[in-house]
Amino acid sequence: MNVAPRYLGRGSWLARRDPRVLVVVVVLFIITAIQVWDLRLMAGLLALALLYYRTAGIRFADVKRNWIAAITLLTIVVLVNTVLTGNRLAGIQVHPYFAMPLIGTVVSAESVSYAATQWMRYLAMVAIGFPVAFCIAPADFGVAFARLGVPEKFAVGVDLTFRFLPSLAVEYQQTIDAQRIRGHDPSKKGAGPIARLRSMGPLMTPLTVNAIAGAEDTIDAMDLRGFGTGKRSWLRHLALDRTDWLLILGFLVLAVVTTVAGFTTSISEIWTPPFLIGLAGGTP
Amino acid sequence: MSTMTLQRSNLWEVTSRTIVYAAIGAALYGVLSLFSFLLPGTSNVSIRPAFALVPFFGYAFGPLVGLFVGFVGNSIGDQINGYGFLTYWNWSLANGLVGLVAGLAPLYIANFVNGPISRRAIGGAIAGVVGSVIGFLFVFSDIWVGGSSFDSLLTTGYIPIVIADVIVSAILIPILVYAWEPVKDQLGR
Repeated sequence: MNVAPRYLGRGSWLARRDPRVLVVVVVLFIITAIQVWDLRLMAGLLALALLYYRTAGIRFADVKRNWIAAITLLTIVVLVNTVLTGNRLAGIQVHPYFAMPLIGTVVSAESVSYAATQWMRYLAMVAIGFPVAFCIAPADFGVAFARLGVPEKFAVGVDLTFRFLPSLAVEYQQTIDAQRIRGHDPSKKGAGPIARLRSMGPLMTPLTVNAIAGAEDTIDAMDLRGFGTGKRSWLRHLALDRTDWLLILGFLVLAVVTTVAGFTTSISEIWTPPFLIGLAGGTP
Repeated sequence: MSTMTLQRSNLWEVTSRTIVYAAIGAALYGVLSLFSFLLPGTSNVSIRPAFALVPFFGYAFGPLVGLFVGFVGNSIGDQINGYGFLTYWNWSLANGLVGLVAGLAPLYIANFVNGPISRRAIGGAIAGVVGSVIGFLFVFSDIWVGGSSFDSLLTTGYIPIVIADVIVSAILIPILVYAWEPVKDQLGR
């Protein structure tokens, strides 16, 4: 069982950036994307997100399953939204194609445009978010959060969490093996959901209790080193170079411009391509 | 005999113990979240046994530990699965809020928290259920983040996940409380 995050982008242009850049870019891009409902502009944001993702240098073969899972999930979400929604299109003149059988939701040029925009929005967010998974060394998360102004103790907690992962994964496997030797197999299929949940008890209980009880050494070590009594320094030093600043500045400008445009233009309103309206027999 | 009494002034204290327990809880949640199965008869209700750790850690060690275990643990699970630490940040935060609300149990079910072990076990289940129902309300932030509609979030997001996690909490938290209490006494916590 491998629970270690995969550092697939090692050495790429994006992985050479300060890890804080990747986190800040995600935040700024989300602020930008959630304000845009114009399909044309969202297509531009998606292109930007994919370009950004390309600089992560992640081989597609290594993340094919991740992309398939993410696209499947967001497609289901968008389809469900298109079928069930009506709220977002309230007050908009629609050009209907047909009504869904049984539930009666009208599929129109506008709802298709809405779905396409939402799909691209999610895809763009995933493309911007993936590099955080593959281009930041796991050991850099704690210091990155600390240097972003997150409380020191929270940042240390994040750092510790990554450090506990490998040992807990080993204990997890050992516990499963030990229980199997005793005749209990928590992964055995065929039982009902309640029985399967109860069968997790003999796995989760020793794993959790042992992990908590075993933490005493770590707690003592931290206390003996005076943890929490003063400002903490980090072994790893982070420094933003000119490229990092330019990247942050670029996404910051994008977020600010989008916010201003959201109040002054129609980018926060649904835009429907004329050909979709034409398919419904209407005139744009 | 020690009890799981949590004074209100202690709820927000952050010590080395708080940090380490929170980190262990988050790592456990991340590791065990790889194991899940579909609730029979449904297409999108996934039962995640590891979720019980979120309200359990909140209930046993306080709201800040619960918040951390839910938020960071879910983010770590996403990171391990390759979706990115912050891609689904609002769902991670919803998990964290479940732990936070469960950790506030001494404020709303004090008689369970301070009672004998059988009542503390039931109290843990109640805290998990209350935490799930309240904490996951935050998934409605997807209305602004993703542009989802209230109806679709309610039917495909909130209700399925609350049902699944209420079942998980009601079954597994009492087991964890029964196992942890004697160990806690031995450790003198």
